[in-house]
Amino acid sequence: MNDISLAMTFVLVLLAMYLSYKDKIGLEKEIIIGSIRAVVQLTAIGFVLTYVFDWDNSIVTTVILLAMVYNASTVSAKRGKGIEHIQKISFTALLAGLIATLGILLLCGAVTYQPSQVIPISGMVVGNSMIAAGLVFNHLKENFERRREEVEIKLCLGASAKESSASIIRQTIKNSMQPSIDSMKTLGIVQLPGMMTGLILAGLPPAAAIKYQIMVAFMLVGAVAVTTFMASYWAYKSFFTELEQLRQS
Amino acid sequence: MVLLEASDIRLKFQSKTILDGLSFSIYAGDFVGVLGSSGSGKTSLFRILNLLQSATSGSVSYLGKDTLSYPPTQLRKRIGYVFQKPYLFGSTVEDNLTYPYQLLKRKPDFEEIANYLAKANLPEDILTKKTTEFSGGEQQRIALIRSLLIKPNILLLDEFTASLDEENTLIIEQLILDEHKKQSLSILFISHNLAQAKRLAKQIMYLDKGKITFYGSNDEYFAQKELQK
Repeated sequence: MNDISLAMTFVLVLLAMYLSYKDKIGLEKEIIIGSIRAVVQLTAIGFVLTYVFDWDNSIVTTVILLAMVYNASTVSAKRGKGIEHIQKISFTALLAGLIATLGILLLCGAVTYQPSQVIPISGMVVGNSMIAAGLVFNHLKENFERRREEVEIKLCLGASAKESSASIIRQTIKNSMQPSIDSMKTLGIVQLPGMMTGLILAGLPPAAAIKYQIMVAFMLVGAVAVTTFMASYWAYKSFFTELEQLRQS
Repeated sequence: MVLLEASDIRLKFQSKTILDGLSFSIYAGDFVGVLGSSGSGKTSLFRILNLLQSATSGSVSYLGKDTLSYPPTQLRKRIGYVFQKPYLFGSTVEDNLTYPYQLLKRKPDFEEIANYLAKANLPEDILTKKTTEFSGGEQQRIALIRSLLIKPNILLLDEFTASLDEENTLIIEQLILDEHKKQSLSILFISHNLAQAKRLAKQIMYLDKGKITFYGSNDEYFAQKELQK
């Protein structure tokens, strides 16, 4: 694809703006800002990655991964506003998901610790884990508010904070992992995901592209599982005092 | 034997005083009716006794030891609390009536459950039924059995028959009286129903604007009320 062809695809953004304007949806400004940000951010990261890939330094790569995790954790932590230590929980849960999956991929020899391999893979892992962690925090907040009476009744019977929250935690983990599992179920039938599409467009035979995509699917579900379990089992504690009393909302 | 002793309990919420220096003792075998107008602090007092919330100042001791020195889970098993609105969790009655055994780390004793169901005038086959199928009165009976299965020494009942008909009220009262006599369960109950308080309570505690204005025997309280007429 040449630059002129790429520029012409901007027509699609104009179409979206026209539809928004016609139906008075009011998203025109958001669409244009979003498009400009996407172009600027992707261009900048394109230059940065070219430089980083050429440099091939594991310390720099690690710093980039940590920055990626930190930024993602800040975004998911916003979903859990009001939960104590939310930034720490969010960062640690995302980092644990990344270390677990990247560690296994490295041990299996599926990837090597080179920026050109671990940075794109980590981007996918952290992005998906970030969405899952956001769902965890949202779900916990909503359920500790809605099911307050149930939790207090269990506490009254002598249940610990963990015992009284068990059904909320289980439901939270299930709901937060469900989108990743659904997405894995429909791979190849409903969607040809980004990585596979990219490899095919870059000229790799589909048979080779699916191998990477299978690895990515396993990796994402593993990372999301580690993140949601850690975030749920850590964050629920913030809803209780040291005396195992449910905090006032 | 003093089971529970409250010393100068105070509770403030923002700038409002909810409880204003409550001190009293509950002895083994007491059956205390806690009376007072709405907003007088009765429910807040129960929540503090069960450690569901902390007092701003003052202390509560159970069997001579500060309640804060017990693990909260252990204390709450000794001081049970039944809410005004019966709330059943899980999907079936069995989920609710086997839960106490889970907490006590014991296998469910279905014979004991059946005994309680019989006493509460509930058929044994309700165990497999959905919690949503029951009337308020039946739900309150199930919630009460759930608390009794923990075998507390003290039971706090917050307007436990407030929204029930006469038939359900009498069934629940009888169940509580049986437990009080046979298991020497000490009971504190909040009620707005003077006839019920007169019928059940041995002692009356009257709260007004967060203060105890009367704490004495049932006879004494109702004699004073007669004189005031």
